[in-house]
Amino acid sequence: MELLIFLPLLLALIVPVSGIKIRNLIVISFVVLLSLFSISTFLDDRLYSLTLSHDIHTFLCVADIVLLVYFLAQGIKYRSKLVYALAFVQLILYLGIIYLAPSMHGIDLLSDELSRVMYLVINVVGGAIIIYALEYIEAENFSRLKKNSFIALLLFFLGVMNAIVSTNNIEIFFLLFELTTLCSYLLIRYRGDDIAVKNSLKALWMNQVGGVAILLALVFSISTYNTVYFSELLKVVDDSFLIPIIFLVIAAYVKGAAFPFQNWLLGAMVAPTPVSAILHSATMVKIAPFIVLKLSTAFSPSLSVMVSIFASFVFVGASIMALNRDFFKEILGLSTIALLSLMMALASLPSEEARYTAILLLVFHAISKALLFLQAGILEKVYHLKYISDIDNLVDHAPRTVFFIIIGFASLTLPPFGAFIGKFLGIEAITQAISQNPLYIFTLLGLIVGSVFLVILYFKIITKLLTKEPFKNILKEKLAFKYKLGSNILFISLFIGIFLVSALNVVEVLIPVILIFISPFLLKYFSFKSAPRVKEYNCGEKGDFEVGVYNYALSSNVIQKMMYISIFMIVLHLAIGGGILK
Amino acid sequence: MIEYILIVLAPVFGGVLYGFERVVRARMQNRQGPPVLQPFYDMYKLIDKNSSIVHPMHIVLAILHFITLWAVVALMILGYNFLYVIFLHLLATIFIILAGFSVRSVYSHVGSNRELLAMLAYEPIFILIATGFYMINGSYDISLIRQEDTQILSMILLFAAFLLTVPLKLKKSPFDACEAHQEIVGGVEIEYSGIYFEFLYMAKWIEYVFVYMILLLFAGNNILLGVFLAIAVFLIVNLVDNSTSRVNIVQTIKIIMGIGLTLSCLNILGLSYV
Repeated sequence: MELLIFLPLLLALIVPVSGIKIRNLIVISFVVLLSLFSISTFLDDRLYSLTLSHDIHTFLCVADIVLLVYFLAQGIKYRSKLVYALAFVQLILYLGIIYLAPSMHGIDLLSDELSRVMYLVINVVGGAIIIYALEYIEAENFSRLKKNSFIALLLFFLGVMNAIVSTNNIEIFFLLFELTTLCSYLLIRYRGDDIAVKNSLKALWMNQVGGVAILLALVFSISTYNTVYFSELLKVVDDSFLIPIIFLVIAAYVKGAAFPFQNWLLGAMVAPTPVSAILHSATMVKIAPFIVLKLSTAFSPSLSVMVSIFASFVFVGASIMALNRDFFKEILGLSTIALLSLMMALASLPSEEARYTAILLLVFHAISKALLFLQAGILEKVYHLKYISDIDNLVDHAPRTVFFIIIGFASLTLPPFGAFIGKFLGIEAITQAISQNPLYIFTLLGLIVGSVFLVILYFKIITKLLTKEPFKNILKEKLAFKYKLGSNILFISLFIGIFLVSALNVVEVLIPVILIFISPFLLKYFSFKSAPRVKEYNCGEKGDFEVGVYNYALSSNVIQKMMYISIFMIVLHLAIGGGILK
Repeated sequence: MIEYILIVLAPVFGGVLYGFERVVRARMQNRQGPPVLQPFYDMYKLIDKNSSIVHPMHIVLAILHFITLWAVVALMILGYNFLYVIFLHLLATIFIILAGFSVRSVYSHVGSNRELLAMLAYEPIFILIATGFYMINGSYDISLIRQEDTQILSMILLFAAFLLTVPLKLKKSPFDACEAHQEIVGGVEIEYSGIYFEFLYMAKWIEYVFVYMILLLFAGNNILLGVFLAIAVFLIVNLVDNSTSRVNIVQTIKIIMGIGLTLSCLNILGLSYV
């Protein structure tokens, strides 16, 4: 566990000063090593725990204060009121907590089953993205030091993520939470232009709302339950006063970019594509379902209903909002928001099965999304395509990229892929929950309707990719090695995942596997040579045909209402958790 | 053994059903109509036709569509998981949608688009029907559902919602906007010819078998009720087909989603209180 945390951090120190060849070599070999470590940790079921010494605690406190002061300084430097106000509030709260908190001694780091799954996601998926980033960043116009520090920052991010999923101390959790905020802030503003700075500040203040929520959770946790440890809090927390838990859940909503906090994640699109890939799949946003999964055992029945209804509301809302977007990355972003909410909705259900499905979704969503973002980056850098509407005849010269995009989308919705199985079992789990509490029907309805909206969204995009020019053969696509390596790792892990998840029986798995994976080969060997080729009949109509896609836009009025509803629902969470509503 | 024979014969049943339907519809309109075996004559004739293609991928996707649908029906006959069957059917639909999008033809694209939107209307209802069966029988297994007593009375609203989706799935008026012969000339089908069109033609027959097999699930182990339901629905659907005019795709979605989803949810809520 320490290795997983410190190896990336150490590597992040080496990388900025090395040359390009050595850098690539070191990073690739270490990423492979990290992935292997995470796999072996995953297979090893021992509980691993660690208590940090007093000196380290003091050091972490100082680091935290320095970090908050840095945020304060950034806020003042860029004259962003929200940023410095929130940094200031956090600083006050944090100092108060240090003053209040009794000197407690307990387990600071703990690797349980959930964190082992998270290691796997973070290191394997994150690693593949970093390999890809090595190639991607070379296509940008920056100095060598800046390029290297980009890679270093990504590695640092991995280290922080590995730490955040193993922490058991909420104070340390807060520090790491703020560190991920720092990483995303620096990465989003990496390009340094106006819009990047603006969006990074937005991300900064929104994520600081999450920080404030955690600090409030700490305040209530210390004052009511006299503990700063997750494990103890979950043990002693009482249904009549769930406020600390709820503030942590709100922090999850912020990180998961649930309504009304969706804008920071959408704004993050201005960063280089590997950043979006790593934010959306392996790191940052995955904290959200992670927190809910960690805490859901302590949810009261009414809170569980509330969280799941709110999250499925966001699921449907974000899926519909994505229907009128044209910027490819933004579509992917909204679908991330949607699916994260789905994970939270499932994670909050009171059954083990539901938690399991949430974890399945979490893992496979990470792989699929990373695969999709890598292709988005290739489209951008190699084919200079950013918008869906600009794409035409892509399958003729980029069959590989198109195939991966289709697989990426298909793996989120169709059998036999892991994310599909997550939803599939999710339906069953929610149905069981309905018999206990009919209110869960909203969750079920949200899951079903939202999923169909997502299918429509995904296959609307594939429309544009697949339209082919007649009389042209598909050319082989040439790509840089590291581009291919990243995508291949993810593709293979998707494929292996199909067989690891044993929810379906053999026939049920094999039919779609054969159908989907046989099709490219069918195409290769069956070229239908004897059949005469013709141009499209098209009822004899002549003239150019421009491929279009339909859009469905919600009016801004409706979106605004959705935001008000979500704010209202979040407030309702607190009312329920505080014991006002029963 | 009998199951495997049924699986092999499934397209033939569908073909006969399709032919019979044309006769019934013609009689309703006071016409003579084609012979019952007309679809098979059509198939025979298509073999002789000139089979030109636009590009191989287009053809492969149609073949995959056909195979997947056949697999769907096979799994239903063998009594597999109903919810899974619904999703596999979704995969089949996706194949044909992709096929429609892969050619540069306006009609094909419009057809595919409508097919995609139609999914928004019927897919949630199908899943909710599966949920309903799960709440009653405690399992999604079709073999189990078929052994249990019929629960059609406690699922009556779900059944009504299912009836709404039947014309949409079978491309019948008033919900036939996906195919709409006079308007978009068959939509996805338009760019296929000769022997390759046969796959789509047979896929259509299998779709019939699929829909009527879901219908039979509502009858449980009561075969008599099953036969009665099938005949009744067959007649009603054709009567409605003959007597209504097409509504456009947006109205289709609004009607089916609005009414169908509400009915299904009410039914599920009712079931959860039992």
